[in-house]
Amino acid sequence: CCGLGMWRMSSLLSFSILFLACLAGFSSRLFAVIRFESIIHEFDPWFNYRSTHHLTTNGFYEFLNWFDERAWYPLGRIVGGTVYPGLMVTAGLIHYMLNLLHITVHIRDVCVFLAPVFSGLTAISTFLLTRELWNQGAGLLAACFIAIVPGYISRSVAGSFDNEGIAIFALQFTYYLWVKSVKTGSVFWAIGCCLSYFYMVSAWGGYVFIINLIPLHVFVLMLMQRYSRRVYIAYSTFYIVGLVLSMQIPFVGFQPIRTSEHMAAAGVFALLQAYAFLQYLKDRLTRQEFQTLFLLGVSLAAGVVFLTVIYLTYTGLYAKIHIPIIASVSEHQPTTWVSFFFDLHILVCTFPAGLWFCIKNVNDERVFVALYAISAVYFAGVMVRLMLTLTPVVCMLSAVAFSSVFEHYMGDDTKREKPPQEKAEEGLGPNVKSIVTMLMLMLLMMFAVHCTWVTSNAYSSPSVVLASYNHDGTRNILDDFREAYYWLRQNTDEHARVMSWWDYGYQIAGMANRTTLVDNNTWNNSHIALVGKAMSSNESAAYEIMRSLDVDYVLIIFGGVIGYSGDDINKFLWMVRIAEGEHPKDIRESDYFTPQGEFRVDKAGSPTLLNCLMYKMSYYRFGEMQLDFRTPPGFDRTRNAEIGNKDIKFKHLEEAFTSEHWLVRIYKVKSLDNREPLDHKLRSVVPRQKYTSKKVTGLLYVCT
Amino acid sequence: MNTTSIPFPARSLPARGTAGKCPICRWESGLRLQLLRSPDHCGQLQKVTQMMEWTSKRSVIRMNGDKFRRFVKAPPRNYSVVIMFTALQPQRQCGVCKQADEEFQVLANSWRYSSAFTNKVFFATVDFDEGSDVFQMLSMNSAPTFLHFPAKGKPRKTDTYELQVRGFAAEQLARWVADRTDVQIRIIRPPNYAGPLLLGFLLAVIGGLAYLRRHNLEFLFNKNVWAFSALCFVLIMTSGQMWNHIRGPPYAHKNPSTGQVSYIHGSSQAQFVAETHIVLLFNAAVTMGMVLLCEAATSDLDIGKRKIMCVAGIGLVMLFFSWLLSVFRAKYHGYPYSFLMS
Repeated sequence: CCGLGMWRMSSLLSFSILFLACLAGFSSRLFAVIRFESIIHEFDPWFNYRSTHHLTTNGFYEFLNWFDERAWYPLGRIVGGTVYPGLMVTAGLIHYMLNLLHITVHIRDVCVFLAPVFSGLTAISTFLLTRELWNQGAGLLAACFIAIVPGYISRSVAGSFDNEGIAIFALQFTYYLWVKSVKTGSVFWAIGCCLSYFYMVSAWGGYVFIINLIPLHVFVLMLMQRYSRRVYIAYSTFYIVGLVLSMQIPFVGFQPIRTSEHMAAAGVFALLQAYAFLQYLKDRLTRQEFQTLFLLGVSLAAGVVFLTVIYLTYTGLYAKIHIPIIASVSEHQPTTWVSFFFDLHILVCTFPAGLWFCIKNVNDERVFVALYAISAVYFAGVMVRLMLTLTPVVCMLSAVAFSSVFEHYMGDDTKREKPPQEKAEEGLGPNVKSIVTMLMLMLLMMFAVHCTWVTSNAYSSPSVVLASYNHDGTRNILDDFREAYYWLRQNTDEHARVMSWWDYGYQIAGMANRTTLVDNNTWNNSHIALVGKAMSSNESAAYEIMRSLDVDYVLIIFGGVIGYSGDDINKFLWMVRIAEGEHPKDIRESDYFTPQGEFRVDKAGSPTLLNCLMYKMSYYRFGEMQLDFRTPPGFDRTRNAEIGNKDIKFKHLEEAFTSEHWLVRIYKVKSLDNREPLDHKLRSVVPRQKYTSKKVTGLLYVCT
Repeated sequence: MNTTSIPFPARSLPARGTAGKCPICRWESGLRLQLLRSPDHCGQLQKVTQMMEWTSKRSVIRMNGDKFRRFVKAPPRNYSVVIMFTALQPQRQCGVCKQADEEFQVLANSWRYSSAFTNKVFFATVDFDEGSDVFQMLSMNSAPTFLHFPAKGKPRKTDTYELQVRGFAAEQLARWVADRTDVQIRIIRPPNYAGPLLLGFLLAVIGGLAYLRRHNLEFLFNKNVWAFSALCFVLIMTSGQMWNHIRGPPYAHKNPSTGQVSYIHGSSQAQFVAETHIVLLFNAAVTMGMVLLCEAATSDLDIGKRKIMCVAGIGLVMLFFSWLLSVFRAKYHGYPYSFLMS
């Protein structure tokens, strides 16, 4: 009876701890909503929101066939076939269910709160996975870690309506079901794993990580001679059903049987069948030596093939990093140790210990988590954004490390009662134990404080609305972006075409509802290069490009008045570089530097820079503006320099709108003049003899 | 010599008999051609032929003073020459020259073996110790310098490559050449076989060892070895070695005015190599502390040793974590928390 009571007690405790972890995870993601409002953040989420809105208003089939003529003017974009629809469908489904229950919420609120809700589900699936790997205690710790760890919060705060928010849940749940199916060898769990994998494929391109990690696991199990029927059943089912399901997503299509990223899975599948066949033969034949030799040969050959495929894949990935458009994206940078520490804090130092324990006490599923950790840490090192896939495994392994320590140092009273006087004298003593426990708890407390601080300060800015703080702590809201986008929405023609750098494409489409030339879906490099060329040419050359692209308005971001560093002048060199990549004759990066090789906006700057369209649009009338009495007029606060060209006049453009803090400036592209103004004397016409064609008159005569 | 792969004016014309041929270029001295060709066509073609012959031997032509004056400076010339002025002799101690020379070779080879190869552009080099008179003639006092001598007209300001601004990567040089001569060169670096070969050798050694000891393969199942190597890999990655590999930062920074050496980069966006080694050690120490704590509670050693292990473990964890935190604080300005040391 006592045991049952204990079990009840512990399950109640587990339940409440999990519930609290979900609650903590949910509420720590709400900083942005509380400080600002329920608003979609950043750039990509605006596109996702716009697609979801389209889905809920027009229905699922209309969404799948959606051709968006408002993006990539004049090319347009096939949206239905080029997105992972999982996110939109999830949000749309929740919205539909709530409306069915007469809880009428706006789709925007569903989108805003989707990621925090899914973080709770992630905590639960991490708990399940860690429980399978180690024990219940470690599972609970892992759930608590993943609920608040900044590496995951960075992609899942309220308002960040992005694929990663739901994909991490799908990732962890797929891994849980995979481990479960390897443990049990039942088709039921394997099919569950496939369904979860299908959801992951529909949600995020990172599914490639799963389809490589699971085969790797199977392969390593075979190498370790841990092959069993359970593995055979699990992988054969997973590969076939998962393959068929993943090909149902339009964007993925036939990639799983064509591209090199998926070949490892196919190779391992073939190898597994061969291995199983040999095992079957081995029971019937006697030439043992020959068998093993053959086996060795087969596995070696397969290993070589596997390694080359992996090698080719990742050298390909590495080469992609060097294309300027990809290199210009801030998320594609390698990771410094500071980022690791910032996103993971104590976990980054302790998770190797968890890995140590897992390898020391290895079994089938711990092989899996070790491979997961090693591959994820490699990818996180190469690219900052892949820190996201590392975070769950770090939480799990740190939880293993901490829970092993707590297991030995915490609950000593209950254990001592059961084995009577066996090792009680040899214990470390209550003092040492309690000191260790206290210090460990203190570390965890610091972790919690760090997570909250990081979430609040680094990851909770919507970046659509900015805030600045005065010396006395009062807050100013800078709402320039939305001000400008609503101006566009209200004051321009419905079909007006707005040119801007690609960063702002999704926001213009989402908030201003106007046609854009380029946006954050950077699929057409030459189109982006054309926009970059227009921005970096002088006004008359830019006018020709803009005329050929039917541009009506140009939108730029200028931070010189308030000292906002993410503005277009600071991004300008990337525009030049990308334009140079496609038009090396017209644009040269070296022209925009001073002879000393500096990028300067003041008088010493290069004349090409001081007369290019971007410079002129940024600093138009800025030379007349004196921000305070210590600085001269036309002093740029972002670059701390007095601008070099204060006398800016436009011939083909006119200023249409400048927001309150000058953050967004919009220019109207004038249409062509009626006729060229003549700068010489009017031509005097010499009277000539009038000539009429006899043929025509004759013809007319016949007709009449 | 009857290959047609090189588009060459002298070969593309059919030779009809030998009577009226120019002895050098074998062009017919008929009336029709006499109208077309300039008086110094023989000098030009002779030079082109000579340059082509050199280029076919080595893609970068080595020049001394005489050759330079004859093939580059002297006027009748219908080809561009890109010249690297350098000082490769070991006594000059020019480390940059060596690196620049390698890149220049890559560029010249990419051009020499490309399908678009023509006799419009040649690559040459003048070493200071072989042609110091050329350096004097051009009043040049630094090496390496890249100059372009266009086919027509004098070299202008843009014909001097801005080494300080653009660096000497072959790709940058190719862009400059494309800019100056309208010749697009796709850089093809010779693949580095050393890495795969070494890997193959290593695998062969491991395979051979495994075969020799096939009756005693316990060492493959030694969990400590595997766990240790996994830990090493993880620690290398989390301390940002990949960043170092891609970005190539300096080991540490020495302040030129005070001579003070700083091992920690002041910004959170960058790091020195030394700093990542320190972080690697700290991370390893914390990990070891955690492992020691567990070992102390589970091992069969006598109680005294276990107590020492336990205290050492918790000490390692606390000390090195707070140290790591303080290093982080120094880099991430405005971070409010610290522990044990600030």
